[in-house]
Amino acid sequence: MLWLDLALISIVFLGIVILGNNRLRTTIQLFALQSFILSLVPLMVHPGVHAMILSVGTFILKVVIMPTLFFWAIRHVSIRREAQPLISYGKTLLLGGFLIGVAFLISSRLDLPDKGISNLLVPCAFSVIMIGFLLLVSRFKAITQIIGYLVMENGIFLFAQLLLEKTPLLVEMGILLDIFVGVLVMGIVVNHISQEFDSASTVNLINLRG
Amino acid sequence: MEIPLHISIVLIFSPLLLGIIGKTKAFFAGRWGPPLLQPYYDIVKLFRKGSVYSTSTTWIFQAAPIVCMAAALTSSMLMPMGGLKAPLPFWGDILLFAGLYGLARFIMILAALDTGSSFEGMGASREATFSCLAEIVLFLDFIIMALLTKKLVLSQMVGDVLSSSWHTAGAVFLLMGGSYYMVLLTENARIPVDDPATHLELTMIHEVMVLDHSGWDLGLILYGSTVKLFVLGALLINILLPSHNQSVLIQMVEFFVGMMVLALSMGVVESCMARLRLNRIPQLLMVAFVLALVGLLVVLNKGM
Repeated sequence: MLWLDLALISIVFLGIVILGNNRLRTTIQLFALQSFILSLVPLMVHPGVHAMILSVGTFILKVVIMPTLFFWAIRHVSIRREAQPLISYGKTLLLGGFLIGVAFLISSRLDLPDKGISNLLVPCAFSVIMIGFLLLVSRFKAITQIIGYLVMENGIFLFAQLLLEKTPLLVEMGILLDIFVGVLVMGIVVNHISQEFDSASTVNLINLRG
Repeated sequence: MEIPLHISIVLIFSPLLLGIIGKTKAFFAGRWGPPLLQPYYDIVKLFRKGSVYSTSTTWIFQAAPIVCMAAALTSSMLMPMGGLKAPLPFWGDILLFAGLYGLARFIMILAALDTGSSFEGMGASREATFSCLAEIVLFLDFIIMALLTKKLVLSQMVGDVLSSSWHTAGAVFLLMGGSYYMVLLTENARIPVDDPATHLELTMIHEVMVLDHSGWDLGLILYGSTVKLFVLGALLINILLPSHNQSVLIQMVEFFVGMMVLALSMGVVESCMARLRLNRIPQLLMVAFVLALVGLLVVLNKGM
């Protein structure tokens, strides 16, 4: 139980650090680290074959393939850092702290049938979802937005650990595949944005003409 | 008997931490570096010199170094060290602990303003800004410790009760230790926040405030800051390595090894990181704040 708590807290911690970080390379590395810890969580919750497959699948997809894809993408469109976020870093962090508070408040009110695993699992899952959401709305660069989306998905994955025993493996694999395809499509979109506008900022998409 | 022993330990060992930090930095830079005892030589050298006072300063300027040293030594009275109990614990001394550093900082800022130099005034304003951000985090950590142990005496808050909650709330310790480490770096003006080695830059914070002090006074300030590093570091060691019911000797050895590892880690941080831009420092402290806040939420969530 201690290790599960430690893993959950470090996932939230890495989310906070991602919020306050402005270098894309470090952000991707932090995301990979977060996903690595995440991939260990199923093994701690319900050790078994099912969890093993899920853990290995998550590891390959989120720790190996996706970061590689991101590194390739930032090399390709040659951007290094998020120059001007919509909300400044300090305010994002403060908002992040506020949202984590909200997440803990919500999950304390939530009436869950099964609280057996760890009473930190649900609040931490909500917090990571909130952090990902905040990352998604507060940044302009397409790649940071994709990472925000993936951090959010990490939170949903955590939440799904509650139902690990009851969900068929096929569904989970389907979800992982969906995300992979989604990120692939987004990677192509980023590539197109950068080809059209010489930058990967989504602000350009507001205008009707290029 | 306890009080002189406590004070002598603090006075004898505190400059050693600076020496270890210096050696670590030199090792990373590939140099031989100053000897391990260099801070002692520096302090002795400064104590042998006479002081020069500007005619525009008043008694505040001369009182500041003494008050700083006295505050740091008094705060060490509240802090258990390894097997040694704190000599003067009382209910609610945790506020005094934080307040003593507030007092030291207040008189340093006054002394800096007392010189009438705009340069020192700038440093004073920076010191005030960053330390008030750091203090919030410090108090959040204190609240977490108080909630975990249900005590308000510093030496009991870091004692046996805390070590028993390691197993139930290990994650909280991680958050608390992380945020307190950032406070430690800020309070002691170490690298990501302030560079203690620069003396001629417009970006420095703490060093700029002591520019006009010389000789004996400067020695006291240097000594006082090492004592502060020692006592605040001892708090972190007490949190991460809580004392238990073993013999005093083992606990003392553990404590000193812990302090040396802490000094090493600070040296490593200073070698790997550059000083942050001034407008990024509040962001660092904001991270520390959010960490402490999450820790507090976890403790409240667990209902401990």
